[in-house]
Parts: sequence; C-alpha cells; structure tokens
Amino acid sequence: MSSKMSTTNNIAAARRQVQQLRIEASIERIKVSKASADLMNYCYDYAKNDPLLVGIPTSDNPFKDKKPCTIL
Amino acid sequence: MATEGLQENETLASLKNESESLKNKLEEERAKLHDVELHQVADRVEALGQFVMKTRRTLKGHGNKVLCMDWCKDKRRIVSSSQDGKVIVWDAFTTNKEHAVTMPCTWVMACAYAPSGCAVACGGLDNKCSVYPLTFDKNENMAAKKKSVAMHTNYLSACSFTNSDMQILTASGDGTCALWDVESGQLLQSFHGHAADVLCLDLAPSETGNTFVSGGCDKKAMVWDMRSGQCIQSFETHESDINSVRYYPSGDAFASGSDDASCRLYDLRADREVAIYSKESIIFGASSVDFSLSGRLLFAGYNDYTINVWDVLKGTRVSILFGHENRVSTLRVSPDGTAFCSGSWDHTLRVSAGVLVSVHILKT
Repeated sequence: MSSKMSTTNNIAAARRQVQQLRIEASIERIKVSKASADLMNYCYDYAKNDPLLVGIPTSDNPFKDKKPCTIL
Repeated sequence: MATEGLQENETLASLKNESESLKNKLEEERAKLHDVELHQVADRVEALGQFVMKTRRTLKGHGNKVLCMDWCKDKRRIVSSSQDGKVIVWDAFTTNKEHAVTMPCTWVMACAYAPSGCAVACGGLDNKCSVYPLTFDKNENMAAKKKSVAMHTNYLSACSFTNSDMQILTASGDGTCALWDVESGQLLQSFHGHAADVLCLDLAPSETGNTFVSGGCDKKAMVWDMRSGQCIQSFETHESDINSVRYYPSGDAFASGSDDASCRLYDLRADREVAIYSKESIIFGASSVDFSLSGRLLFAGYNDYTINVWDVLKGTRVSILFGHENRVSTLRVSPDGTAFCSGSWDHTLRVSAGVLVSVHILKT
C-alpha cells in the first residue's frame, strides 16, 4: 500500500518536472551575439553617470574624507 | 492489481524519458544560439584602467558577525543585521547609530530597508520575517511596534520589499520563496521548485515587470513570475551553493556568486550563462555580488576576506580590495552608485569608493 502511494507521488513529481521542462524549453531565445551587444550598449549609455566607474569630483562625493589632501 | 502496478511503472519510466529528452532539447536550443562569447564581443571595448579602492567609513558596533545589510533609498542610511541578534540602522555619512533593536533569535541572516525609509524588515533563525517601523520618538521602544509578517518552516535567508512598503518577498532554508502582504501577514504567493535551501533572491528592476531570481543550495538559479508562482527559467551551471544573485541594471541579465569560487553572468533573453568571473588563485566562495550603476563593474565579496571588482564585459578582474579581517558576508552598491558597503564576520561594515586612474589622466 505504502509503495503504491510513493509511486503515485513519484509520478506526480515526474509529471510536474515534465510540465516545467516543457515551459522552459518553449521560451523564445535570442542569439548570444545580440544579447552581448545589448549588454555592452547599456554599459556605454550609462557609463558617464556611473560614479564608481568614472569617479566624481571630491567636492561632490558624500563620503569624502574630512581632512584636506595634498596633491604631489 | 498486478497490471495496475505495471501501468504505473511504465508511466513513471515514460515520464522520466520525456524529462531526459526535454532536458536535451533545452540544451540543444540554447547551444544553437551560442554563436559567440560575451568577452569576444567585448574585445573592441576599451579596457578599464587601474582602480584604486579606498574605505571611506567603518561602522563599528555589532558584537558579532555581520550577516546582511541594505541601503535606504536616501543613499545615506544603512540597516545591518548580525549573529548577535541585533539589527542596527546607521547614518553612513556620520557613522552614527540611529536605531537598534535586539531580535529574540541569534543569526539574523536577512534584513531590508522599506522603500519609504520608514521601516526595516529582518529575520533569521526564528523562521520569520518581521517588520519594524522606524520611529524618531525617543520614548518609544522600537521592538514594541514589531509586526510578524512571514512564517517559514526553516530559517529566513533573504528578504526584500517589493516596490512598496506593502509587500515582502522572502527566501528560506525550507526550500521555498514566498510573497506576503505586510499589513495582514497573508501569504499571497509561494514559489516551489528549489530542491534545497534557498539562500538569496533579487527583484527585477521595476521597468522589466514582475519577476525575481533566487539562488540555492541545489546550485540552481531560478527566475519566477511573481503573479503566477511559476518558474519561467532555470540555470544550473554552478558547481556549489549559490550565495548571492543580483540583476544587471537593465534587467536583461543577472549575476550570481557561489561557494564554487566563481561569479557568473546569465543573460535572460539568450537563456544561458554568458560569462564566468574566476581565477585559479581565487579558491574561496563568493558570498555577495552587486553591480555598479552602469553594469560595467561587478563587486564581489569573498570568504577569503577580499572584495574583487570584475569588468563585467571583458571578464577580467580590475581591482582587489583588502581591509576586512574576516569573511565578507554581504555587499551592496549605494542607490546613487557613489559607493558600496560591505559587511563582514569581523563585526564591521565598511563603506568604500574607488577612483579609476586611467591612462589619459596620467598623460596630462
């Protein structure tokens, strides 16, 4: 009796997995070349506004050191 | 009776066969579109110069390992949680502690700031996620207004408000994620599919719709539809637990950090891994990852106490930051991208910023 229950559970789990895989297999995909180009374009578009990338003037930096710095 | 048993076995076998053939089909379809590598396309992109990272603030006050932190949308306040059971709200500019509450449990593994800045959520070994409104009334006890929202059957590993104070998304050691209504504590949606503890989650940037990504001890990263509870994509290329997931700012990709010592980038529209950020010299797990504002840089905290900064497009490391005296457990870039905060098992949080010293500057 108990083995029949676990078999039923196994079948239910297997059915769920098949349904899930069907969903995942059927999605629309684009080429890596196109996806990569889009990622690069996003970086380009926002690079100049990225303070950790291009830096910001010390006077605008909210986390600047409180003591003055000397430039050699 | 005997014939019934046979039928069941046949059905199970045929389902398993169908599973296998679907998995193969999935790999085939993904491979067909794998025409180039990201770093090859990025060959024509200018290399980044030398980065100099510096710690600007050190937040001291936790009595034990810092496990999680989150920025407030005001770009200066931070909430952090610790193994000592304490949740602290800091003003990162002044390093002052503005609020502190002691949870009834130790190991507060998750904390999050509400979008309004008026509340924080946290939880851990208590298996719950609770919301604390932040009050500036000196006479009021923060713990008195505590609201229990989420109930899991194992530890809370991650939590995040959605784009309002009204809903919270949680991830748990019980293998599920869940969406809750804060006011009523009602479960709105649950997300089943991970085969082991879920360790992390991140919500897609609001423009890209109602999805989120989760990572777990089953080495899988899964992307979910928040409304239906359906898993829409899953990725299994890591070789160990996924400790951290974070969306690329455009919402078209996400990064992951894992105990297998690598970070990876998965593109959602190509439906595959498109980059691995690793080095032979890096052998300790990555605990936490986040992108800079443009998505060009990936900051990753590691169990070897360091923070590595990766060029997302080229796949190379551009900087390494030392300073923490124990594992880096949590890392987030500030909302305006001017700095990043890291929390560590050394009991401290550090706010750091960098300067890119490029060749052009040196020439003049």
